[in-house]
Amino acid sequence: MLFWVIAAILTLGASLAVLLPLTGGVKGGSPAGDHDLEVYRDQLSELDRDMARGLIQPAEAEEARAEIGRRILRLGAAMQPGAATPKPARSARWVASVAVLAVPLLSWGLYSMLGSPDLPSQPLAERLAKNPADSSVDELVARAEAHLAANPADGKGWDVLAPIYLRLQRFPDAVTAYRNAIRLDGDSAVRQSGLGEAIASAAGGIVSADAQNAFEAALKLDPANAKANFYLAVGLAQEGKKAEAVAAWQKMLGQLAPDSPWRSAVQQALAEAGGPAVADAAPATGPDAQQVEAAKQMSPQDRQAMIETMVAGLDDKLKQNPRDEEGWMRLIRSYVVLGKADQARAALGRAVAAFGADSAQAKKFTAFAASLGVTATE
Amino acid sequence: MVETGHFALVLAFALSLVQMLVPLVGARTGNQRLMAVGGPVTVTGFALTALSFAALASAYASSDFSVASVWENSHSLQPMIYKITGTWGNHEGSMLLWVLILTFFGALVAVFGNNLPASLKANVLAVQGMIGAAFFLFILATSNPFIRLNPAPIEGRDLNPILQDLGLAIHPPMLYLGYVGFSICFSFSVAALIEGRIDASWARWVRPWTLVAWMFLTGGIAMGSYWAYYELGWGGFWFWDPVENASFMPWLAGTALLHSAIVMEKRSALKIWTLLLAILTFSLSLLGTFLVRSGVLTSVHAFATDPARGVFILCILTLFIGGSLALFALRASQLTAGGLFHPISREGALVLNNLFLTTATATVLVGTLYPLALEALTGGKISVGAPFFDLTFGPLMLPLLAIVPFGPLLAWKRGDVIAASQRLMAAFALAITAMLVTGLFIDGASVFAALGVGLAVWLIAGALTDLAVKSGFGSVAPPVMLRRLAGLPRSVFGTALAHLGLGLTLLGIVATLCFGTEKILTMRPGETVELSGHTLRFEGLTPQKGPNFTEDRGRFLLISDGNADGAITSAKRFYPVRQMVTTESGIRTLGLSQLYLSLGDENSDGSVVVRLWWKPLVTLIWGGGLVMMAGAAMSLLDRRLRVGAPAKRRKPAAALASPT
Amino acid sequence: MTRKQKRLSVILAGLAFLGAAAGLTFYALGQKASYFYMPAELATASVQPGQRIRLGGLVASGTVMRGNGATVAFSVTDTQKSVKVTYTGILPDLFREGQGVITEGAFGPDGVFVADSVLAKHDERYMPKEVADGLKAKGVWVESKSQ
Repeated sequence: MLFWVIAAILTLGASLAVLLPLTGGVKGGSPAGDHDLEVYRDQLSELDRDMARGLIQPAEAEEARAEIGRRILRLGAAMQPGAATPKPARSARWVASVAVLAVPLLSWGLYSMLGSPDLPSQPLAERLAKNPADSSVDELVARAEAHLAANPADGKGWDVLAPIYLRLQRFPDAVTAYRNAIRLDGDSAVRQSGLGEAIASAAGGIVSADAQNAFEAALKLDPANAKANFYLAVGLAQEGKKAEAVAAWQKMLGQLAPDSPWRSAVQQALAEAGGPAVADAAPATGPDAQQVEAAKQMSPQDRQAMIETMVAGLDDKLKQNPRDEEGWMRLIRSYVVLGKADQARAALGRAVAAFGADSAQAKKFTAFAASLGVTATE
Repeated sequence: MVETGHFALVLAFALSLVQMLVPLVGARTGNQRLMAVGGPVTVTGFALTALSFAALASAYASSDFSVASVWENSHSLQPMIYKITGTWGNHEGSMLLWVLILTFFGALVAVFGNNLPASLKANVLAVQGMIGAAFFLFILATSNPFIRLNPAPIEGRDLNPILQDLGLAIHPPMLYLGYVGFSICFSFSVAALIEGRIDASWARWVRPWTLVAWMFLTGGIAMGSYWAYYELGWGGFWFWDPVENASFMPWLAGTALLHSAIVMEKRSALKIWTLLLAILTFSLSLLGTFLVRSGVLTSVHAFATDPARGVFILCILTLFIGGSLALFALRASQLTAGGLFHPISREGALVLNNLFLTTATATVLVGTLYPLALEALTGGKISVGAPFFDLTFGPLMLPLLAIVPFGPLLAWKRGDVIAASQRLMAAFALAITAMLVTGLFIDGASVFAALGVGLAVWLIAGALTDLAVKSGFGSVAPPVMLRRLAGLPRSVFGTALAHLGLGLTLLGIVATLCFGTEKILTMRPGETVELSGHTLRFEGLTPQKGPNFTEDRGRFLLISDGNADGAITSAKRFYPVRQMVTTESGIRTLGLSQLYLSLGDENSDGSVVVRLWWKPLVTLIWGGGLVMMAGAAMSLLDRRLRVGAPAKRRKPAAALASPT
Repeated sequence: MTRKQKRLSVILAGLAFLGAAAGLTFYALGQKASYFYMPAELATASVQPGQRIRLGGLVASGTVMRGNGATVAFSVTDTQKSVKVTYTGILPDLFREGQGVITEGAFGPDGVFVADSVLAKHDERYMPKEVADGLKAKGVWVESKSQ
């Protein structure tokens, strides 16, 4: 509403700027010739000053004076015919009325096409200050972030935000938040297992050495922590120790409360462990969405075969172009996931050889492989 | 508030249409009332544009991400100063700033133009209205800064980190004040063509506007050059980049205009040429806007695939340049030529200046547009850089700079070169001495270095000679001389200062290019390096956190005579929102020279690549620019520029030579 | 000389000056403009060692080797051919493996391109425009559809 009032006032002001001069009295502006005469006079006086300072020689000054004099004469002649202001013609009145009307019509018409009059301004501070109940999750998170940016030492804040990040799939943020919470408010099984989950999720589901450490730290504080137990077993499965993983899961089933939400997850994991345990890790690695979709339709044996074909293809490609850092890491991980520890080790050896044992890449490969439980053969 | 700004912008567009039509009709039919509409409409249009700009700036300041342009170019964690400067750090906002300045200058003419003949004023305002209408339409149709997002995102995408700098706060507005300032000269020229005659008061009005525009353009270019120097971390101050050339061409043409306007104002000569030059200068400003804003420089293909903006500006360009030149071709023959002069005279020297400057402008134009044309026509890609401009622009500048000191010492109408040379003997001797000293006593000085230093000293000494001669130095007693010096017109000081500044800039360029030294090395904490007599010790890298970035800051200790003498820090910054790394160079000013240091990547063994430069007298490059600006400001204060209003003030009759 | 002759000579002098300037400009365009090549185009173009050119392409992954001091070696590729480049100095902030780059310099007698400037100027897709155009022409790079 306020906006429309302001818009109306602005329009009125603009229209008046057109209207008032049209209706107002005409100030008798001095004819153009007077302006010129003034300038010529000044040129003459300046000529004298220049001459006094030696900027022009007397003979030339005389010549210049004559030139200016001629211009003044010509001016006088031009001014003689009485250039009386003509009466406002009908056409002028027509132009004037169109102009006055055009301002409101054009501006309101154009604005109604372009503007969003119903959308209020939304300064960030105001949005963050309004009732939390009206806010979206994004806004709540932003509010928390703004709070933590101002008070980075608020461990409780990080603790609240971390699982939200995890649910919003902002995994790297979740890792940072958990780490901050642990640093500021100390260890707890929930925080450590959350950190582990965040690290694993950020790595596309791979339970890396870092994640493993976090889960183990959680178990030290609470040996019955379901999340930590579950993911450690996933890690075992990914390393190819399927039997140990199955044992761990079965042990969990025995301990979990009947209504525990983890029950179904564990049961599903056990069911999959019957087949090849790739489901957790596959999407981020090699096959594209279509292939994954196709793989889901296949029998377990076919699926295994298809995955092996793809891995072999990657292997071949790397033989031809060994300087593909990403590719090597993908290959090592694939072999680990397929449970072929020997081949994974061999791939690591080839990868290191391709870049030279001292290269930064070699170190990266070794560290990566170690995080999957693969060590070099030497 | 945001929508008020949007509405004000639309309203300003409507008013600009009135402004371009009604006064024009009034001037053609001699209707005083219609002509009188121009003033109030122009002022109101400016007020509305200012309101619109303020609304946008407040949206940026309050991080209102419901505005699309804020969301794209701002971030809530940015420091407040960069939130506000971000308003014009993007395409939409900068175009709004462009029209804001345009309407501001229009309003100045409307308010202070009472000493202009009514029809001239009406025509000038109408032409300003045409330019304004075109750009308002451009903004509303293709670059509307007030497009809204609903629902609003909660966080913005951050301003490009290299633009998060104070240099950006000052550089574009100054540059635009320059570009757009020339629009007034353009409007005056087109108005004169519409009227079919050039009033004497016309000449008086064009020069101060040229001075204002030229002053800001000089400042804008100097500022931009310094910004690139310290922000890009390469230690260079001019790259002959198309974007730089885009601002340099109007400057060159504007400098020519400045000089020809003097002739026209004092002698009523060169009228037609000045008028053409005013049109060309603003055309080059428009071309600069086009080159930078259309995306044609980023890629000819981008221009072809996303044509809306580019084609729109191209149309504006064609319309205004083509239209004004066509009008010029039609009407120029009706204009009367002015005073006569001998080839060897102040006028002649200024014509020579114009010849050199416009030719130099043309070479820069060719060098800037040729690669674009070639790519558009044949697909071949070439780059035209410093070697081209060294070969073409350089040879044109050398003779021009060599004759600069003569100009102010030549008399009007018919000058005496021999007398001027005699007066310049001292300056000439000084220049030769400087040349010899440079060539013989400075290690590794080349012919070019000696020549450059000599030329710079020649310019500086020549500018001072001008003042000395005009105040009667050596021929009258010192008190008389001082009195005479104080009594000199301000414009004489302006000329001397501008030429002095030119000499200083040249000296800075030559010294930096010829005597500068640089080293690239890897350093570990604790190691020292020596460069041109300065010893630096690397103290190590420390991680730091800024409001919207993290950085590794390298600290270097400057050691003079065994004692620590302050520190220089250079940093690698990482801006997480845009995932961008920038280098913050470390600069230490010692006298007029600078030590410049830039940090490279950290090697795996903990050492860091460091590049450092010793840049002797480098600050003179921009210091000279400031002196040139001071010269322009001084000239603006000259009393001559306030004359032209009839019946306001009658000078004592004694001062007037009796007109025939 | 009569007045007319005087004026004529002044005009002629001016034209001669402009002609000289124009001649110089076009000479300089022929001599001093550096041409842009992608690695695969070098096979067909005869580029002499020592001739200044601009070489653009992608920094091949895994080829960046930091040698002694501040000298860096890397390969520039257009996915068909690649060229070894050495450069002494600080690489631009936007220089990274797999990203577009333009180097300026000349080939040494050993066939290694010695760059004296490395540019990673870019638009928001981290791609210098010459490189992007070149890759598009080769069908390697497909412009992503705007969201």
